[in-house]
Amino acid sequence: MNRQPRRKAAPVLAAAALLGALGAAGSAPGQGEKPAAPPAAVAAKIAPAKAGAKTGHLPGYNPDRNAYFGDLHVHTGLSFDAYIFNVRAMPDDAYRFAKGDTIGHAAGFNIRRSGGPLDFTAVTDHSEYMGAMREANDPKSPLNKLPISQGLFSSDPKQITAAFTKMVAGFEHNTLPKEFSAPDVVGRAWTEVQQAAARHNDPGRFTTFVAYEYTSAPDGRNLHRNVIFRTTKVPQLPYTAVVSNNPEDLWQTMDAWRAKGIDVLAIPHNSNGSDGLMFEPTKRDGTPMDRAYAELRMRNEPLAEITQIKGTSEVHPSLSPNDEWANFEIMERYIGSNRPVTKFHGSYVREALKDGILMREKVGFNPFKFGFIGSSDTHNAAPGSTEERNYFSKVGRSDGTPAQRGSVPPGGAKTWPADTPDSAHATAPYQAWGASGLAGVWAEENSREAIFAALRRKETFATSGPRIRLRFFAGYDFPDDLAHRTDLVREAYAKGVAMGSDLAPSRGKAPKFLIWGVRDPNSGYLQRAQVVKGWVENGVAKEQVFDVACADKLTLNKTTWRCPDNGAGVNMATCEPDPYKGDVELRTLWTDPTFKPNQRAFYYLRVLENPSCRWSTWDALRNGTPPNPTLAKTIMERAWSSPIWYEPKA
Amino acid sequence: MSPKPDAELSAGRAKGLVRRVLREPLVHFLAIGAVLFAGLTLVKSLERPTVRLDAQDLNQLASYWEVQMQRPPNKAELQGIIRDRIDEELLAREALRLGLDKADMIIRRRLAQKMAFATDDLAQTAEPTEAALQAYYARTAQAYAAPTRVAFQQVFFSGDRPHGGAERAAAQALQRAEEDKREPQGDPFLFPLAYEDVGLQDLLRDYGTAFVKALETAPLGTWQGPVLSPYGWHIVKVTVRRAPPAVSFNSVRGQVRDAYLAERRAEANAVFLRDLRKRYRVVIAGVPED
Repeated sequence: MNRQPRRKAAPVLAAAALLGALGAAGSAPGQGEKPAAPPAAVAAKIAPAKAGAKTGHLPGYNPDRNAYFGDLHVHTGLSFDAYIFNVRAMPDDAYRFAKGDTIGHAAGFNIRRSGGPLDFTAVTDHSEYMGAMREANDPKSPLNKLPISQGLFSSDPKQITAAFTKMVAGFEHNTLPKEFSAPDVVGRAWTEVQQAAARHNDPGRFTTFVAYEYTSAPDGRNLHRNVIFRTTKVPQLPYTAVVSNNPEDLWQTMDAWRAKGIDVLAIPHNSNGSDGLMFEPTKRDGTPMDRAYAELRMRNEPLAEITQIKGTSEVHPSLSPNDEWANFEIMERYIGSNRPVTKFHGSYVREALKDGILMREKVGFNPFKFGFIGSSDTHNAAPGSTEERNYFSKVGRSDGTPAQRGSVPPGGAKTWPADTPDSAHATAPYQAWGASGLAGVWAEENSREAIFAALRRKETFATSGPRIRLRFFAGYDFPDDLAHRTDLVREAYAKGVAMGSDLAPSRGKAPKFLIWGVRDPNSGYLQRAQVVKGWVENGVAKEQVFDVACADKLTLNKTTWRCPDNGAGVNMATCEPDPYKGDVELRTLWTDPTFKPNQRAFYYLRVLENPSCRWSTWDALRNGTPPNPTLAKTIMERAWSSPIWYEPKA
Repeated sequence: MSPKPDAELSAGRAKGLVRRVLREPLVHFLAIGAVLFAGLTLVKSLERPTVRLDAQDLNQLASYWEVQMQRPPNKAELQGIIRDRIDEELLAREALRLGLDKADMIIRRRLAQKMAFATDDLAQTAEPTEAALQAYYARTAQAYAAPTRVAFQQVFFSGDRPHGGAERAAAQALQRAEEDKREPQGDPFLFPLAYEDVGLQDLLRDYGTAFVKALETAPLGTWQGPVLSPYGWHIVKVTVRRAPPAVSFNSVRGQVRDAYLAERRAEANAVFLRDLRKRYRVVIAGVPED
């Protein structure tokens, strides 16, 4: 079964040895290293809880739940595109990176997270042609003899782009050789994915999930989803978009798996690149949605990945002109090509949530009732590589240097030419990408079961990279001093509902919301906490952003629902933020002043940090050149809770 | 008296001297040497230096390429590889001829590194005896221990600014706890207020080193503090501190051996550098080092 990986390990290691002996440009640890553990070792590693045998709990068990941070969107050299981008790191390398180890980048330097290890990770390689590129590049494999395999594997960025475009076009028009999807080829890679997940799963310390990406994009419009399995019980082969690019077929398949005891959920991402398709108002074939469709969708897709390196899909400025913070890491292109997105409606989650409650009101079901996570979508096998000052982008050799990603002037110049292309330009695809995306979950302990259960009940939150911790509860009977009591979380669970839940109909009282955000010590201070509310009024879905807690003891204006500007700035010569602005935590109890018991609504929490340097500014600072004049110099890092839905009496 | 005869006399003397010098074999030797040197230099300057790639070099180049691309190069690619290699050699030689390697930090570092590697190789130490390993382990056993585990409670005071209200509140709460033996009260905290069994290593990422250090040293069973974390001020009561479980020598023998050899190598390198220093005079900013 895994003869393939072992065979390839030898030359790579020999190369490392040779390069080391010669002292040529440092060998990159991790690139392509493959432990050749037999499947027997895999079973042994899935050990039950080590400690706490008395109670059956893992160390760190907390009935009030802990925040765990992870990345559920990670590609390695098993993905066809990552391999073409020269990435040779494998799932084992990805898990080692997540745990804080150093691995090699395709462009030859070493990479490591600076903010400490993650708590959980899923490697989600594209199921389409999984592992096929590695074999096509192996002279001993029959795939190597296929005409298309010639010229796919170059280290020259121009050739890489050409090869990638060729593969994507072949994928879209289904003209790629069927050998690339052969069950033995994909099966070898799928086995490797499972074995790596088994080797690195360490209950109580680090959780892995067996997972893959279903890569559907009808006419290039992105409908990608990551498919995450709860346990080691998984299908023999992934269900791919080569078989059907209609997500409804994927969900039917997932239902069938579940009937066989294979628990699974899917998480769509990059709705921003779907050109309105991800949250379209009909079924894929254009027929009207029905209750069965909505239930099928929500049973299989309780969450959406709303932020990642290829942009943030919470909200578009044109859709929410009254949200001053909507213009955050917006990417307005198709995924994997330069076509501009023209339809923002159907591409952003706030609008979809509004459409969802409107449908619930009008036709009685809601196909868009999902919670939020963030993740990276790294193609460098580098989970959690979303740190602004430690950013190396996402597609291997194509964007590994600042010049390639547009953060320093071209050709080693010291200043920017007057005609510097902005992010809308086809020659500048990487500069609009953001260092974003972590998934936060509230779970009792760090295990597959506990974290999967949190994903399933949507007790999750998304961050733009930092480990900002969010608590968000709603209830009618919270005591007024709840935000100041030390048992507030237990009380909130007992008397209310957590993020991702439904709030029962009101018996006349307005709901109170417990708002709590705590900063990441490795990132900035918090500036404001906001509640985003969407509701249905006279058959129209509306929205409002309420500031609910202000930093620096500033007084909230309850007419405009805005905090005064706290004046936090950044020293642009050093990227040092203002040291005495912002708060460690924002905590308050907020009552919705606009609440109407008969109005269907959703609420989610958004917490903003003070401004800090964007990755492109850090690149420029290190290079001693001015930041790219077409890009934002600073950003406000943020976190979003999953929504709470208010369901009035039907 | 005219000076003329004197002049004639001295001219004659000079002629004799020249004749004598010309007859001297040493002069012949030097002259022949000078001619030979000039000739050879001339020949050498006419002859072009040679760049040679032998079969072994070619094989090596091809194998590097193959390792990277996972297939042997075709003819055109091989020509490209060879051309690149020769171009590189020519540029490098010309750079050396022009002295571009002088005062170059990268080249200096690389040379120093190569020398260090070379001395590393020279210092290949013999396989250590079991007794040496045991002794080394006895000296460094701490390095192989699992982290200390603790159970503790904490009371939290929000706000991380120095000399702020949080620090004062924490100090007051601590004082009250000492006086009236009641459980102190603080602010809500997003992390657990009580940990039953946690490794100090696991607390590092979220709480920082100062906090972990305090847990490591706090006397058991009493409230201590205030301790600063990235979130604010804490007073802590450690109830259990479990010393790391003993690690048997056999379970870490491999690691001990690696560490032992690494230490021997480091020692050998230090000795080499010390000897090297004796062979050079070191002058820093005009002042000789002793």
